[in-house]
Amino acid sequence: MPSWLGVGTSVLLVGLCLAVVVREQLGLARDVVVAAVRAAVQLVAVGAVLGVLFARAGAPGSVLWVGGMVLVAGRVAGGRAAGLPHAQRTATVAVAVGVVVTLGLLVVARVVDVEPRVVVPIGGMVVSAALRGTTVVLRRLREEAVSARPQVEARLALGLTASEAFAPHRRLALRTALVTDIDAVRTVGLISLPGAMTGLLLAGVPPLTAIRFQVVVMFMLLGAVSVAAVVAARLAEADLFDEHAALRRLEPV
Amino acid sequence: MLALEAVSVVRGEAVLLDAVTAQLTAGRCTAVVGPSGAGKSTLLRLLDRLEEPTSGTVLLRGRPLRELDVHDVRRRVGLVQQAPVLLGATVLEDLSTGTAVDAHEAASLLERAGLPGMALDRTTTGLSGGEAQRLCLARALAVRPEVLLLDEPTSALDAVATADVERVVAALVADGLTAVLVTHDLAQAARLADDVLVLERGRLVEAGPAARSGYLARA
Repeated sequence: MPSWLGVGTSVLLVGLCLAVVVREQLGLARDVVVAAVRAAVQLVAVGAVLGVLFARAGAPGSVLWVGGMVLVAGRVAGGRAAGLPHAQRTATVAVAVGVVVTLGLLVVARVVDVEPRVVVPIGGMVVSAALRGTTVVLRRLREEAVSARPQVEARLALGLTASEAFAPHRRLALRTALVTDIDAVRTVGLISLPGAMTGLLLAGVPPLTAIRFQVVVMFMLLGAVSVAAVVAARLAEADLFDEHAALRRLEPV
Repeated sequence: MLALEAVSVVRGEAVLLDAVTAQLTAGRCTAVVGPSGAGKSTLLRLLDRLEEPTSGTVLLRGRPLRELDVHDVRRRVGLVQQAPVLLGATVLEDLSTGTAVDAHEAASLLERAGLPGMALDRTTTGLSGGEAQRLCLARALAVRPEVLLLDEPTSALDAVATADVERVVAALVADGLTAVLVTHDLAQAARLADDVLVLERGRLVEAGPAARSGYLARA
């Protein structure tokens, strides 16, 4: 592990970035300094909070921590899907279901231990994956609800239900949301070593142990993205149609 | 067949339809005409329950639409949109969107829509605008509607394709189908319609036989 002196030395690399930015007259010098200072302050603060959490919070505290992350993620994903009816609520529920199902399964099956030093970082990864799936699917559904209105209404006019009329567009949104994570699973280890595995290797864990952990993480993230995306798609779709199975007109964003 | 009783549609500050009362007679073609923004398409969408009236009642064979199952209403009242909207990769797949159609039925539907002999496995991406719109007509007929709504069905087509679609619509009405045609083309309304409804700024200003329409005569 690098010492604090080592961390200080790494600031030289920020200096290197600054030199490039200044020499090439990119006008980003202030952004580089602000970003580096923010990163340091944020990480120190998070490290301090995690230190307290790991030492004192126990299982209930870590569950609360993950719950907080879910609320923040729901707010972010909902904000990205502005214009969809009840976007905030839909996004929060989708992320929460994605997290509860995947993390819950791993906890119940005793694949991961219920202690803060495990639940908090793994919860963070799951929430991020659920957030990613939810954001992509909601944005895509909103686009489809506007651009594919003639197709949806043509199917409704043939007597199809709202769900049947919107199915091709729901599938498109879900494919878009899942394809990145499916590709990540397919190419894992070939293009780059994933973060969790890299961290374990750097911490001195034997490669085969690190791989076991990484497999669980990859499949967990795939599960979280899928569950969150499908919940988001189904909830959003229900809100896209009124009680008479007519496609609502969305507010311009 | 269809009737509107004091139907109004208000969206925000805008009054799209203002207390419209009208009858659409079975087995006849009724043209809905008027300037842009008069409420023609809104009226058509009400008949297929793609919009709901703010007040008033729309009736199908004497029964309020809101008392009927919405999907049943839409099967009984078919719609052909302004620009052709194809929903299947092949002709047969497109025809089967609303209900399963076998090859024999498909051939018969294509013939009624003026596309006799069209290959069922032909991809829909290669169809001309006129062929695509007639395929949309055939697809709407596949669910055996009692009424066919036509929302400016030739506005995206050239003169030859327009004539083809008009021939098909005229033949369908002659066969007893009830049609409601929204059009900005008054000559087309005069050619196809038995009755006419004239809308201006959401109000019905004229209703009656097309042959005696002052609005169509002025045009």
